[in-house]
Order: sequence, then C-alpha cells, then structure tokens
Amino acid sequence: MTTKRRRTARHLGSYGDADVEGEVLRTDALLDALARREPVGGADAAIRLLGALVADVDSQRLSSVSITPST
Amino acid sequence: MVVRYCRARLGRVSGQYHIADDVAQEVCIAVLSALPRYRDMGRPFASFVFGIASHKVADALRSSVRSAVPTQDLPDGPDEGPGPEETVVRYIEAQHARDLLARLPDTQRELLILRVVSGLSAEETGNVLGMSPGAVRVAQHRALARLRQLAELESIA
Repeated sequence: MTTKRRRTARHLGSYGDADVEGEVLRTDALLDALARREPVGGADAAIRLLGALVADVDSQRLSSVSITPST
Repeated sequence: MVVRYCRARLGRVSGQYHIADDVAQEVCIAVLSALPRYRDMGRPFASFVFGIASHKVADALRSSVRSAVPTQDLPDGPDEGPGPEETVVRYIEAQHARDLLARLPDTQRELLILRVVSGLSAEETGNVLGMSPGAVRVAQHRALARLRQLAELESIA
C-alpha cells in the first residue's frame, strides 16, 4: 500500500512565511505610494508601467469633464 | 475616482479622453437615476458606484464605436506640460500597461486599477470587491507579480 505525501506550500517554494508576508507588505507600500501619486523609483517593470498609466490618466485635467449632455 | 477608473480602462481615442470621460458622465447619470432604487445592504456605497462603472465600461468596450472626436482649439499660450517626446513615451507606456492589464484575470485587473489609478486604500478596495483587506493585499501582490511576469515575457520576445 502506498501513501501520497501532501505537498504543502512550504515545500513548493524557497520563501518562508515571514518572507512572503514581507513581500506582500512591500507591494502594499509601493501601491500605496502610486495611489498617492508619489514618485516610486526602482527597476520594477510592473511598477514603472502602472506609474506611466497613472501619469497618463492624470495628464488631462479631470475638471475638463463636462456636465452638460453632448449634442 | 470614477473618471480615473474609466480613463484607465478605456484609454485615449485620437489622443484624447473624450470617450472615457463621456462614459464617466454616463456612470454619474446612471448612479443618480438608480439612487431611488438603492437599498443599503450593508456594503459601501462605492461598491454600488463601481459596479455601475464596471458595466458601463464593458458596454463601451463592446460597442467600440469610435466616432469622430472634435479637436479642441489650439492653445493660445505657452504649454507648461511635458514635451512631445516625453508625451509620446508616456502614452506608449500607458497603452502597454493597459494591454498587459487586459490580459490579467478580471478581479486582478479591477483590483489594480481601483487600488492604484482610482487611489483607493486596501480597505476601500476590499469593500468594493467584497474582499477583506488582507485578501486584497495578497491578491494585489499576486496581480503585480503576474503583471511583472507578462512585462518580462514581452521584453524577451
């Protein structure tokens, strides 16, 4: 009779729980900074792209949105 | 917040945000129209608003009617904004971000846009999406990792 060993998350990666939690909190801090429109440096491609999207969205005055129906 | 959400999802047409801003206006009108039928079910009002916004954006993407966009009058004065080269680079990168976000699962895309572009906190984003703040933080970490992976795959290809 053979028994299967269940693979836990700890066996699947090299991170310990504290490392994963640290990474999650670091991501949260980065996204908070982007949400507050603060400059976020670094070589992270995903953060750079999100920063470009935020800059593009904010580049045209939000107040230019008309409240009158278009004709 | 609604305008930013629509702009992030729909992008520019002919260099302008007319379509996205019109959809944002439709969202506001729809919210006002639906207010008499709104019942407080214990969820934040923002989730009601972004639910409508999500549907309006989906409608706009489905119709994909790209009508002629009236050009604004030429500005009569110095432009304090970024130069043409910087503007084009930013536009290309923003469009690249939209393309990659479109390849994420719906929840991950909504989460990143609400969190970063609309500027909601993890708690507020969780209220809109029906998730706990802790679940938002884990999901946004995974979404960012997936976005990073997609960006790296594209840079290699």
